[in-house]
Amino acid sequence: MTSTLEHAAHTSAPEGGGLARRQNFLTAMIGGVVFAWLGWFLAHHFLDSSSRNFSDLVTTSLTIGWIFGFWLGIGALNGPGRWLIGADHTRADDLYYAGENQGRARYWKYCTDHKVVGVQYIVMTAVLLGAGGILAMAIRTELIVPGNHFVNQQVYNGFVAVHGMLMILALIVAVAGPWANFVVPIMCGARDMAFPRLNALSLWTLVGAAGLLLSVLAVGSLTMGWVVLAPIADQAGVGMDFFAMSIIVFTVSTTVAGVNTICTVMTMRTKGMTLARLPIFVWASVIAAALGLYAFPYFSLVEAQTLLDRNFNTSFFVAGGGGTGWLQANLFWLMGHPEVYVILLPAVGALFEIASVMSRKPVFSYRTAIAGMTGLAGLSILVWAHHMFTTGWAPTLGGPFMLTTELISIPTGLFFLVIIGTMWRGNVWMKLPTIWLFGFIFNFIIAGITGIYLSDIPIDNQLHGTMFVTAHFHYVFVGSVLFGAIAALAFWYPKVTGRFLDETMGRISFWLAFIGVQVTFLAMFVSGLRGMPRRYSSYSLIFEHTNFITTIGAYMIMAGMLVLLGAVVRSWSHGEPAGPNPWHANSLEWLVPTPPPLENFDVLPVITEDPYNYREELVRS
Amino acid sequence: MSIDTHAEHDAQGHGGHDGGHHEPPEVVDARQRMAIWLFIGGDIITMSALLFTYLYLRGVNTGGHWMSMVGYQGHSYAWFENALNSSAGLPSPTLIHVGTLSAGLNWFVTALTVVSAAIVWAAEKSLRATKNAKNYSALSWLAVLVTVVAIFFTIKQLHNIPSIFVAQNDSQTMSYTAYDSTMMVIIGSGMIHLFLLAFLGVGLAIRSARGAINGTKWFQARLVRLFWVWVAVSAVIISAVTTTINTIH
Repeated sequence: MTSTLEHAAHTSAPEGGGLARRQNFLTAMIGGVVFAWLGWFLAHHFLDSSSRNFSDLVTTSLTIGWIFGFWLGIGALNGPGRWLIGADHTRADDLYYAGENQGRARYWKYCTDHKVVGVQYIVMTAVLLGAGGILAMAIRTELIVPGNHFVNQQVYNGFVAVHGMLMILALIVAVAGPWANFVVPIMCGARDMAFPRLNALSLWTLVGAAGLLLSVLAVGSLTMGWVVLAPIADQAGVGMDFFAMSIIVFTVSTTVAGVNTICTVMTMRTKGMTLARLPIFVWASVIAAALGLYAFPYFSLVEAQTLLDRNFNTSFFVAGGGGTGWLQANLFWLMGHPEVYVILLPAVGALFEIASVMSRKPVFSYRTAIAGMTGLAGLSILVWAHHMFTTGWAPTLGGPFMLTTELISIPTGLFFLVIIGTMWRGNVWMKLPTIWLFGFIFNFIIAGITGIYLSDIPIDNQLHGTMFVTAHFHYVFVGSVLFGAIAALAFWYPKVTGRFLDETMGRISFWLAFIGVQVTFLAMFVSGLRGMPRRYSSYSLIFEHTNFITTIGAYMIMAGMLVLLGAVVRSWSHGEPAGPNPWHANSLEWLVPTPPPLENFDVLPVITEDPYNYREELVRS
Repeated sequence: MSIDTHAEHDAQGHGGHDGGHHEPPEVVDARQRMAIWLFIGGDIITMSALLFTYLYLRGVNTGGHWMSMVGYQGHSYAWFENALNSSAGLPSPTLIHVGTLSAGLNWFVTALTVVSAAIVWAAEKSLRATKNAKNYSALSWLAVLVTVVAIFFTIKQLHNIPSIFVAQNDSQTMSYTAYDSTMMVIIGSGMIHLFLLAFLGVGLAIRSARGAINGTKWFQARLVRLFWVWVAVSAVIISAVTTTINTIH
């Protein structure tokens, strides 16, 4: 079996590819800009400039042009075009699209190799987190003292909205993007994802959507938070059009990715890889993908309705025409709460893997873990209205929604039991992934317990819209999901690069981030308990000290993330060599060479036992 | 994980960039069928959300404006500009009621969609029975033609959605009631479906004419048929709901 790099040395470049030979990220950007200009130009010349909606129509036309041009430029439309005319890809074409013998250039192309897509997702996640993180620092700098004017209030509001959505998008893909692509097919014993071209489509569509979302910062005027509440969203400036279109495009990406993940796992498992032998991370990826398929159509529809209200004067959210903002709230949160678990489950699945491998013990109560994840996914679609307790919508349903929300704590509790049960009396290997895992456990307990408080209607009535809620969900997303994502990165990094993530820098990063999270968000809890509202660019003097502490903590988190970034970059070329199976794990991704060859396996393996059966010879000495 | 790397040589093959690992067509077909069902599942959620929107707005009937709006009916922009520029200004707006959209036209478009689905289904059955790809291509073109006609009438439906002129401060605009808004998005999503079917239909016709779909390679015909039938079913469900549950008495 040869590695990808070795393979490149003695094989001539494939002759296929056709138009794709001239397509890459640069042509995608050029295509996007040209077609965006074309959309702008056509709208300017063919639409009534006296219309109240003219600027929205021009913007929407521009955004449609952008995404179409981006797809055209990157090569996403080559496949459908060739299918249409019956000129299917040849083997040489497929090999070219898979990036064979193209070196690093393939990372800038519409590459179908799942491992390349996984690495592209790592970079994309880092870009999104970086952009969102810079905005977070700007927000915290504005709030370091009351009455600060680091940015003006409208810009601040825009920062809050774009920060929120960038981070949500980043965390949706933070684990599922890189690892459901890079390791899940290998874990199943497959040669690639079920639909390699759709795989590339999901990645590059996300890139296009991110471009639209970042454009909001340039045009401004998004002043209503990341949930873009109606009817304010109907009245906002053209930044809202960019925002809504970016979400619609993003949901295309997640839908395609979800279908691909499920089909890969359900139809491409190698012989002997029964469902009961699947690594637990694969289960988590499938459940999260299925939940995403359920949730994201609501997201897409609610943003489409916002666009229609703004562009064509429909009345979905306009009371004068029979609409209501509650419709937006319902549709948004029908997506919004399951989305939390679309984000969380892959991270939890990765942590189950890490707990097992690093403790040299099987996943404790494997079936309970699957039941917990499935139960969580099922319950998550029944809790959306707890976000609306204080809006006055359907007060009689408050009790049932409070109950379903509190029931969520049961499957969530199972996660703790599974992780702790797995590590209990294990020979725990305190390496970087394990350290981030412990950070997750600590933070997730705080996130979970404060969540139970907020699910209680009387307390929610007091705390809704305060910084307490902000602190709660940051414990979920930063303290838990981000820690889980970094643990997964540290765990599978050697499989991607052949090198360990720098242990020393990783530990420095961990302690900065861990202490930073506690300083930032515990102080933020106090601000919230004292009544400080969210999304305000200034505040009363009574919140001065806690906000100062929060900002200092946020800088610590930033410092930790910068150290981590440094570790990732440095270790990529200078890290300690890791070999193909540095953790002495049993799942298939560790049993192939590093980096894995183009199609993962020369001969497909036949599985005869589960991946957590650690034998003596594999136990770390 | 215990594995035996000597036993099996490629039971699975490869989905995309075929490195010499060929997969049996039925394996690829099963995978693609699952994908189509999952996409249909996503589409079912979208349809449910559309119907939720429709029934919810009808249910809450905010301000009694499900099918009405305060404004002016039957006037052009020019009329508004003149009125605003005149010394008298605009007259007092009145409550304008809109009627339901044509149920006949709605069902006609639905019927066309069902007919096109029936043609595609019959074509596929015929292909599998007779192995006659030319016949299949011709029937696919016929299905495309029916779909294009359906698109034409869908555009007519959109054109027929009544708007109400509303004066806001010194500008006038054209607005749609909640009923009209929901119908616009429902009809619009139907049109997107029809465009997609037209694309797939053209693909089937060309591919079968070029031999990419034939009596032995009919899997893609079945995949497209599955989606086509779902679109027809969803059109029937949506038409049934929107033509029977619309006005508020």
